Amino acid sequence: VKLPLSWLREYAPFTVEPKRLADDLTSVGLAVDGIETHGAQTVLELDVTTNRVDCMNVYGVAREVAAIYGLALRPLETAASERGAPAGDALEVKVEAPELCGRFSARLLDVKIGPSPAWLRERLELVGIRSINNVVDLTNYVMVEMGQPSHAFDLARVPGASLVVRWSREGETVETLDGQTRTLPAHVGVIAGKGGEPALALAGIMGGASSEIQEDTRTVALEAAWWDPLSTRRAARALGMHTEASHRFERGADVAAGRPSLDRLAHLAEKIGAGSARPGVIEVRGRERPARSIRLRSARVDALVGAPVPWAQQQRTLEALGFAVAGTTAEAEVRPPTWRLDVAREADLVEEVGRHFGLDKIPSALPPSGRVGVLRPSQRRERRIREVLTGIGMTEVINYAFVPAADVAPAPAVRLANPLTSEQDTLRNVDRGAGAGRGAAHQRAARPQGRRALRAGARLPAGSRAPARGAPARAAARGPVVSPPLVAAAAAVRPLRREGHPRAAVRAAGRPAADGRGAGAAARVPAPRPRGAPRQRRPRRGLRRRAASRGRGAYELKGEAVVLELDLESLLEAPAGIARFRSLDRFPAVERDLSILCDESTPAAEIDARVRKVAGERLRSVSLVDRYTGNQVPAGKVSLTVSLRYQDRERTLTSEEVQASVDAVVRELRAAGLEIRGE
Amino acid sequence: LADKSRELRETARAVRAEFDTLVREVKDSAALQALKDRFLGRKSGALSSLLKSLGQLGADERRELGQELNALKNEIEAQLADWQTRLEARQRKDALARERLDTSLPGRRQYVGRRHPLTVVRQELEDIFVAMGYEVYDGPEVEDDYFNFEALNMPPDHPARDMQDTFYLEGPGGLLLRTHTSSAQIHYMLENAHPPEVRIICPGKVYRRDSDVTHSPMFQQVEGLVVGKGISVSHLKGTIEAFLHALFGEAYPVRFRPSYFPYTEPSVEADLGCIVCEGKGRLADDSPCRICKSTGWLEILGSGMVNPAVFEAVNARLGRVAYDPEAVSGFAFGLGIERVAMVRHGIDDIRLFYENDLRFLEQFPS
Repeated sequence: VKLPLSWLREYAPFTVEPKRLADDLTSVGLAVDGIETHGAQTVLELDVTTNRVDCMNVYGVAREVAAIYGLALRPLETAASERGAPAGDALEVKVEAPELCGRFSARLLDVKIGPSPAWLRERLELVGIRSINNVVDLTNYVMVEMGQPSHAFDLARVPGASLVVRWSREGETVETLDGQTRTLPAHVGVIAGKGGEPALALAGIMGGASSEIQEDTRTVALEAAWWDPLSTRRAARALGMHTEASHRFERGADVAAGRPSLDRLAHLAEKIGAGSARPGVIEVRGRERPARSIRLRSARVDALVGAPVPWAQQQRTLEALGFAVAGTTAEAEVRPPTWRLDVAREADLVEEVGRHFGLDKIPSALPPSGRVGVLRPSQRRERRIREVLTGIGMTEVINYAFVPAADVAPAPAVRLANPLTSEQDTLRNVDRGAGAGRGAAHQRAARPQGRRALRAGARLPAGSRAPARGAPARAAARGPVVSPPLVAAAAAVRPLRREGHPRAAVRAAGRPAADGRGAGAAARVPAPRPRGAPRQRRPRRGLRRRAASRGRGAYELKGEAVVLELDLESLLEAPAGIARFRSLDRFPAVERDLSILCDESTPAAEIDARVRKVAGERLRSVSLVDRYTGNQVPAGKVSLTVSLRYQDRERTLTSEEVQASVDAVVRELRAAGLEIRGE
Repeated sequence: LADKSRELRETARAVRAEFDTLVREVKDSAALQALKDRFLGRKSGALSSLLKSLGQLGADERRELGQELNALKNEIEAQLADWQTRLEARQRKDALARERLDTSLPGRRQYVGRRHPLTVVRQELEDIFVAMGYEVYDGPEVEDDYFNFEALNMPPDHPARDMQDTFYLEGPGGLLLRTHTSSAQIHYMLENAHPPEVRIICPGKVYRRDSDVTHSPMFQQVEGLVVGKGISVSHLKGTIEAFLHALFGEAYPVRFRPSYFPYTEPSVEADLGCIVCEGKGRLADDSPCRICKSTGWLEILGSGMVNPAVFEAVNARLGRVAYDPEAVSGFAFGLGIERVAMVRHGIDDIRLFYENDLRFLEQFPS
């Protein structure tokens, strides 16, 4: 809202400098975005919050200024001499939609259409309105000054000299002032001619071309009404229109402003010689909102503000802003003015008092606390995982939650009903390396060799349409939820190392050793599915990996790209437990290595499982120490070296005991068709 | 016997003189060991031989000479030990002198990854609030109209909905992507194990249909909510000042001004003195400050006292009065994490946060 200071001073004769006024307005909630000067004129640019439609005009801001500086707000001049036959003789008004139109006021003016005087044109220019003719300019002037939109009909062009307020019929058309012919849906408010035909104007949005003021217009019917906010908003949205008038009516105009604004128009018309008013104002009431009365306890103001505000000051502020206050310190009845539809309850009154009291005068204090703040175990664990993964060289990236549909297909997709672009029309549900690939592509651009990316983010459970987390009862209370997995992607990492990163994360999460073999066991990679084999259900915990050959092509990665996915949710939600001390081993461990020649398709996890199955209770750990292909290894085969570690808590193992176990392992592996070298 | 005694004394003197000469020529530990063997060796050491000869003397002589020889032995031992120490010291010194270490040589580079700059800010905010006794609560990102709007005093067709252009999901249920973390307030109050006490922050991703240099369709916010008996604007101010000072430093002033949000009443916006121009509105070269648009203030967060309508909506959903607006009050606040990071690092395009370009990500300390 643009606000010329000279205009403002007519009603609130403030004396402070513009900069000071701007600061003071900002501190009562009317944020001043800028101060412009045009010749001798200074104009404030106000950012008025959507609830304060009453301050989207000069007089409303003047009221605030008067309240700030304790000035008397000067009344608007509305006196006009009236001539001719009563207005009611020449114009009929009917409100057939009382729920739409709270009050309809009209006045007749005999006019001589011409240009506006210079001072009026200049004022309108200062607020960014182009001058059209004296009558239209006056309606704009009064809207800027008082906030009440009004419309001037050429009475001669109003069929039957009758204005009828009604709802639209679906499909009827109106040519609006901007020259566009608009086809209306049902339930748009219109002002129509006699008998309700035809529609002449869109109520609270825009006038129509058929009854527009022209140079030969002799008599105008000035209309100023109160239109229901919700109806106006719905109609404007349905028509894709947003006007100065609809902006105000949508946010709640002043139901009592019609008559004074028409009087002001008549006064100004006489003043600039544009015409004279016929006697009387025609006023028809529809369904008006009942006046509110709000209980105010001054102690409640003090408690919510957190500082004592003297009752006299509370009362003075409210009255300066147009509220009627009756009662005592303990309890008062406050009636908001008709222009303050935003004030409905005690908290709203607290705001009125508080903002004029001054937020800067309220002391700062920290609230008393009876609670200790701590991160939950799962939150600490997530941080730990992130620390470990970044510590071993992965960089965190954050991707948009939406991806192209192709990235998700053929999985059932959850799509946006109103995406910004087709590149972002589907919610990511299964990562498929998309994010990692994108990250890696940028990494490649930045550096010759691949880097690793780490991503945490929300993901929809695959195949879910209404994603939910937790037990159904909990989900109902919480509403739909997107679950958060974490994806770690590694580009161009040596094969044996590539799965080490997420394993480290699993260990960092401190997963309890459900099977007694240490947390690392939970991170075993499930066997890849042989080509053509049926898809198996993914284990609930742990890792999943995808050789992102598709992504590699799409993102022009060189070298090997591997996507590993951690089911973060299961890691984070697992119970933490407290680590128990175990006395240190006093007897030495014995290590034996086995070289195993197997098909490339044989998963290391299978070997691991077979070893553990037969090695006996003294086997402490099995670890893969080398994976080799190349010279001396036939094509299609791979040589794996596995290290077996034996230990007993009570005594030193004999070489016979260890050999017996190793023999059993060798038999088991050979029985599975694997070749053991050097045994 | 007297001759024998004299002979032994002379031999002892000779041994002594020899030792004194030889010991000065010792250059290394091998020579020192040889010296030790020569004089103190059990079988053929010079002193050992002398001591063995004592048997040829009479008792008095034997005692007297024995004492002298033992004193000599002790002295030789002491001198040998002393030389040993000196030798070792010299060897260490020589070794150090030989071993030149270029401490300016770079070590083998170990690549350490980084947290995302937004994660850094988020965790910093979490730490500040946890230290003030807050709990960190995650709300869902897919919401329905109730949680995102209605319970927050934004009924259908409320003009404030225009400020937040919403992404809707296809399909039934009217699901949408939350437009603000404020919706998490409602979830927490419904789940709260100890109502009416609330002291939480809710960081997380939010979504709005908007994309340009200052708007990203996905971005991150932190919401805060404190509810209890006697909570006032004074507490809101104190809390926001404390955390902005913790985040940006004590040097920057914080300004509060009335504003409007449907779910708070009174509503308050907080501005921070511009950290680029230090509140002057102009830079050192007198050019206008772009970051604060020459106002000297940065809009940092929105806040306010919880609107009683929000408590009433939660009570209605719970079917009981868990948060009686007459008995308890609260404040809420929300700020954009990107905004904090952009202000702090001087980043001028919000979309950079989501492009995963290492040239960007590696610019910030982690």
